[in-house]
Amino acid sequence: MTLTAPAHRSDARTRRPAFACVLRSEWIKLLSIPASLITLGGIFFIGMTGSLFLAATLESSGVPSVPSLERTMGDVTMPMVISGQIIAGILGVMMIGAEYSSGTIQLTLVAVPDRLRVLWAKALVAGSAVTGVAFITALSTWAATYPFYAEHGLAAPLTGPGVASALVGSAAYLGFCSLFGLGVGALVRSTTAGSIIVFAATLLIPVLSSVLPYGLLSRLIRITLLGNAGDAMSRVSDGSGPFLDLWSGHISTAAGWVIAAVSAGLALTAGAIALRRRDA
Amino acid sequence: MIRVQTLTKRYGDKTAVDGIDFTVRPGKVTGFLGPNGAGKSTTMRMIVGLDQPSAGIAEVNGRAYRDLPAPLREVGVLLDARAAHRRRTAYKHLLSIAATHGIGRARVGEVMELTGIDAVATRRVGGFSLGMGQRLGIAAALLGDPQTVILDEPTNGLDPEGILWIRALLRQLAAAGKTVLLSSHLMSEMAQTADHLIVIGRGAILADGSMRDVITGATPSSVRVRTHEVERLMAALTAPGVTVSIRADGAIDVEHLSAEQVASTAAAAGIVLHEVTSVEGSLEDAYLALTAAATEYRATTSPSGANS
Repeated sequence: MTLTAPAHRSDARTRRPAFACVLRSEWIKLLSIPASLITLGGIFFIGMTGSLFLAATLESSGVPSVPSLERTMGDVTMPMVISGQIIAGILGVMMIGAEYSSGTIQLTLVAVPDRLRVLWAKALVAGSAVTGVAFITALSTWAATYPFYAEHGLAAPLTGPGVASALVGSAAYLGFCSLFGLGVGALVRSTTAGSIIVFAATLLIPVLSSVLPYGLLSRLIRITLLGNAGDAMSRVSDGSGPFLDLWSGHISTAAGWVIAAVSAGLALTAGAIALRRRDA
Repeated sequence: MIRVQTLTKRYGDKTAVDGIDFTVRPGKVTGFLGPNGAGKSTTMRMIVGLDQPSAGIAEVNGRAYRDLPAPLREVGVLLDARAAHRRRTAYKHLLSIAATHGIGRARVGEVMELTGIDAVATRRVGGFSLGMGQRLGIAAALLGDPQTVILDEPTNGLDPEGILWIRALLRQLAAAGKTVLLSSHLMSEMAQTADHLIVIGRGAILADGSMRDVITGATPSSVRVRTHEVERLMAALTAPGVTVSIRADGAIDVEHLSAEQVASTAAAAGIVLHEVTSVEGSLEDAYLALTAAATEYRATTSPSGANS
């Protein structure tokens, strides 16, 4: 038993550890709690079973008479996007909320006093883990359901216009949701409160806004909320129509990306300001 | 080396830490003693950059904590033994902290062995007792082989064996020339472990000195004498400025005279003494005397028999 570590370099005290070290720490944290593995697995499981269910019941629900890439890809991506956005957002919230509830935030910030470094590392880890899992899910779902649609001549080949971008878009949208969750989590410092905000922003308010009286405010809410951006990002569109139409509520794929990125960016900025200014 | 200057923390109108100054030097165990709510934890949190001071500075090795390039290699910190994710194993917990400084698995294994938690390395922290949590926290603090160690109530929840172990560890760290700052509200623990004491109460420093200086400065020393001729001795000793009191067990306490003076006086009067003992105040007495005015939460009944 030795009290002192014999073999560390003399310059280790005077040199700031690389950002990669902080990243590695965050990966270890993410992968060492069962809850995060369950959430990541959950995205795959729900996306896959949801789409397989839609594909398997294609006949009984009525086969469309006209082949439509949009309709087929909607069945492929929507189950993952609808439930996955909440799961991804909660994972983002958990990345930091769990640190506050368990008290490990102290250890984290004592080890890495530059708090923004911690937040960016968490963002990179949450974003890439979620986007990666979501992309694998989307691609596997597409492959698994392909035969069902091919049988009826409804298959959406990867080379079809907008098909690949819908797969990438749906995965990226989940990644943005996790970043949004992380920012919210850093702001509210609670997994429960953060999860409620994620649920409201992705699912609840977009649904509620559709029953709001028709007016500028309800239109604006419809267009700017995270949930509707996901719909746009994962949809196969023919590229026609305006970038963004406030009155009809039309959001183009590109506008979806912008809205999701801005939402995630604003949440992260708010979280970063809170993390820096407040006592841990 | 830890240096704190006019360090202040205010929460609204309430001042938790009120412009305190102290220096913690290497090669010694410095005890940071004070009642609950005195500002010990807040001070420690400011030293390691978790809380922003309202005024003043706190430096470790001449730099603000957040300016240390590789903080874990300079300062080991244990603030809360419960600070670990319940569902994470002890090994992964330590590994995640070690990774921030590129500290390898070998060192993680070493600190686990050193703190005696290697047997439970793969168990989830949620099942740990408070004592095990303390050991895990100390393991985390030692990861970077730091020159300075800051521990908040490290003996909290430890069993007697654990307390002996940590006492030995802290002595060993100090003997190796490291700076050790240890907070506690347990006087017995401090009396056994610390060389130097900083006593804090209501956010202000009440005493800062060696253990002996703090005790003698805050409590009167006295001479305890036993004899069969109590009344004659009391009469012989009575002089201006000398306090003589009789204890319930028949012994006589004499203040402001040395044991030698008491013995000579008795000999001159032909009184036979059965016992002459110099009684020094205990740390507990000193502490109670120092914090009497500064205790925030105190029962209305004062502890009896505190004057041992």
